[in-house]
Amino acid sequence: MTPLVSTPAARRSRFSNLRRAMLKAPGATLCALTIFAMFVYAFVVPLFSQNPFEFAGMSVLDSFIPPMWMTDGVPDFPLGTDDQGRNLFTAMAYGMRTSIIVGFLSVMIGLVLGGSLGLIAGFVGGKVDAFIMRLADVQLAYPALLLAMIIDGAARAALGAERSVTTAITIVVLSIGIAFWVQYARTIRSSVMIERDQDYVSAARITGRSNLSIIVLHILPNVMAPVLVIATINLGIAIITEATLSFLGIGIPVTSPSLGTLIRNGNNFLQSGEWWISVWPCLVLVLFVVSVNILGDHLRDVYNPRLKGRS
Amino acid sequence: MSAQDFLTLTGVSKVYRRGQSLLERLKKTDAGGTKAVSDVSLMIRHGETVGLVGESGCGKSTLARLVSGLMAPTSGEIVFRKDKTGRTPRLQMIFQDPYSSLNGRWTIEDIIAEPIKVHKLRKGRAAIRARVDELLVQVGLSPADAEKYPQEFSGGQRQRICIARALAGEPEFLILDEPTSALDVSVQAQILNLLRDLQKNLHLTSLFITHNLSVVRIMADRIGVMYLGELVEEAPSEELFRRPRHPYTRLLIDAAPDMDTDDRSLHPIAGELPNPAFPPSGCRFHTRCPFAKDVCRSTAPPQKMTDAGGLYRCHFDLDLSNTSTVPALAKMKTA
Amino acid sequence: MTSPLLDVRDLTVTINRDAGMVTALDKVSFHVNPGEVLGIVGESGAGKSITGAAIIDLLVPPLKRTGGTITLAGERLDTLSPKAMRAVRGGKIGFIFQDPMTSLNPVITIGRQLCDTIEAHLKIGGDRAKKKALEWIERVGLPNPDVQFKRYPHQLSGGMRQRIVIALALCANPALVIADEPTTALDVSVQAHILQLMRDLHRESRTSMMLITHDLGVIAKMADRVAVLYAGRVAEISLVGELFNAPKHPYTRGLIRATPMPSPDGNVRLDQIPGAMPGLGKTPPGCAFNPRCFKAEGDCCVTIPPLTARESAAFSCFHPLEKEVA
Repeated sequence: MTPLVSTPAARRSRFSNLRRAMLKAPGATLCALTIFAMFVYAFVVPLFSQNPFEFAGMSVLDSFIPPMWMTDGVPDFPLGTDDQGRNLFTAMAYGMRTSIIVGFLSVMIGLVLGGSLGLIAGFVGGKVDAFIMRLADVQLAYPALLLAMIIDGAARAALGAERSVTTAITIVVLSIGIAFWVQYARTIRSSVMIERDQDYVSAARITGRSNLSIIVLHILPNVMAPVLVIATINLGIAIITEATLSFLGIGIPVTSPSLGTLIRNGNNFLQSGEWWISVWPCLVLVLFVVSVNILGDHLRDVYNPRLKGRS
Repeated sequence: MSAQDFLTLTGVSKVYRRGQSLLERLKKTDAGGTKAVSDVSLMIRHGETVGLVGESGCGKSTLARLVSGLMAPTSGEIVFRKDKTGRTPRLQMIFQDPYSSLNGRWTIEDIIAEPIKVHKLRKGRAAIRARVDELLVQVGLSPADAEKYPQEFSGGQRQRICIARALAGEPEFLILDEPTSALDVSVQAQILNLLRDLQKNLHLTSLFITHNLSVVRIMADRIGVMYLGELVEEAPSEELFRRPRHPYTRLLIDAAPDMDTDDRSLHPIAGELPNPAFPPSGCRFHTRCPFAKDVCRSTAPPQKMTDAGGLYRCHFDLDLSNTSTVPALAKMKTA
Repeated sequence: MTSPLLDVRDLTVTINRDAGMVTALDKVSFHVNPGEVLGIVGESGAGKSITGAAIIDLLVPPLKRTGGTITLAGERLDTLSPKAMRAVRGGKIGFIFQDPMTSLNPVITIGRQLCDTIEAHLKIGGDRAKKKALEWIERVGLPNPDVQFKRYPHQLSGGMRQRIVIALALCANPALVIADEPTTALDVSVQAHILQLMRDLHRESRTSMMLITHDLGVIAKMADRVAVLYAGRVAEISLVGELFNAPKHPYTRGLIRATPMPSPDGNVRLDQIPGAMPGLGKTPPGCAFNPRCFKAEGDCCVTIPPLTARESAAFSCFHPLEKEVA
């Protein structure tokens, strides 16, 4: 028998497919590079600089210095400083780092929570499915941001005013994660309902596989692609949600700022002419989120099984 | 159950409750539900291949899923003969669609190795890999194919992989649900020949389900004909073709066009297939049967035995050996 | 000899892929005589459905017709404007699709669909169109035309839907009907009904027909002449009796012998063709069938055998089969 397609293993060919797709889509490639650069910025700059949010990093004498190309600007502070004299270039790296960490962790929580609920709902069906999906419907009646605020507020009330930075971040991550599980659950559920009736699942069942191993080994790998694309797009939304929460002052404490805290901080001085304090973090946030969304959209097209041929 | 019996179905029925109202569902009545399989009794002996034929909606695929254990019957019993240790025989199934029956995210090696690992038939990675290679060769593929993914194979090759996976479980019983219906003629012949060789060499007991009478005639020792969920006739293969007892069997044999270009007559079966949710009263075939009398409309026919060990459900003892034209044979097939 | 109704010469269809052009149909030539049923047979991927779609310009991109001529009753179809082609489709050429569910519009009653077609192509309106539609519903064998007229496709069984599709294809009195796997989606008992109906209507109207199918049984019963396609090329064209009794091309004989058709003594042997049809763009050099052919020699692997006519048949093979003495 002559095989229709010659040797290169699919794993490898999938990789080269991705590369070819990247070359064909310069926009998405640019976005990927932007995201990569921002990661480097967020995680490398803090290694080599003084944390501007610790006492040693501030100097009130250097406050309100404009970006270096403006009059009064100094090359030591390329993007200027804020009211406390923090170097905005390094402050933003720290802020970016917090934002990215919060974004990733909350997406992970939403993914794990929504994913497992969706898997159970789709696979078990019946009353369990009805219960989980009605729960999802109820949650969808609330805007995700409002829900995150409610959860955040409830957690604060329960834990009292004394909180460490880690606890605060944990609360924010959890509240955003919980606010976004529905989308993952619905997507996974509908894919699972298609996959569980496929003959390969029947074959595994006849062979004697347990339900759990069928879910984990057979169904999960086949339903992950669309969800991972949603997760990419949600990463941007999660970062914005966190920024919004921080902007409203209920997110992460000023001592370990995120981009949202920086924007809120700068907002106070927008009217008085020190625009750079909030405009830079805004720009960085927009650039990052837009890049993530474009890349996510592109990945959705690439991995859309309906657009992909069988060969 | 005699020593030879391998699998016995007694009065097996399956009702799909989809069409029912909530009240009917709670009461667990049969009313309103679609009776996909209705009171089927069948026995398969050790080493035998039993074929099931019928048109869509006759319940043959549902019966396959009942026997495989993927679904539980609404009533009736499906009993496998247990061996001395009380273990029920291992079974495997081959499906119609070679695309949906292989997990696209797994390599061929992982797919074929799965039953070996689950049933612990080989110990150690090297031994499992050796067995996978052996199976690939047995079904006409090469060991090099083990590294590939299902997407890289054609429909016929995928069906070979499915056969290898089924054999990997070292089954005592094999269910084949339309294994060649999705394939092209030349590839279908390859797969049927492969299956026949395997049947001969491995002494498998199997249930072969198809809508194609010629295919089942080649593959099966005995054939059951199903119509609207009922088993209307069951007989040794050649007996069924030489002397069908049920009018539906006769008409079904004649309806498929053969390759005789001299006799170009067509033999449609009168009427349309009734909705399986509302089967006709009495004999279910009476709406289309050229021999139907009043008794057929009112009373369900009894099950009768033949001398050759077959059985059929008809009020009459019709001689149907050549009522309509005997299927003419393509002349070059005698080779 | 009468001039053919449909004449297809060197029809070539290519697929534009990232990797370049792939040939799906390679210089396919055949003709359909007036009143004749030409069967087109082949396995999936042979290009038989593409042939049908190419004639009425219904190719879906990336498929594209890149060469050849199509002549219907002296009129070139391949050079027609898209607008003129629309009038030919459904007018001069009727089309019967494989799946009756998807070829009918699910939200319009079958009566309306029939009337629309009749009004568009026969240029008659209102009551006369309705009368004609009712006639057709009766002609294709549906009981109570008045009731059926108001029904939606999903209210009909598969066989009844296919009858309506046939009525739609024939109601504008076309010169040619292209039937693409008209009975493949149907059960055996229903299939025989539809074939009988097509035969009856064909005898009444003497409309020419192109019957595309993979089922040799259907071909044996329905076709006058048969074209066998393999990997986008014509392997053999012959009168139906000759094709089944004395095939010239090794692929034709292989296909016939691979079809399960047991002999009376129960001694069945299926002669398989080794290998599989080459995928798109993977056609070997020379004769496309050479890797699977038991008669293949050196020349088969180098040169593409031309379609040569001999008596009433034409075949593309350097080493044709001799007529077997039974």
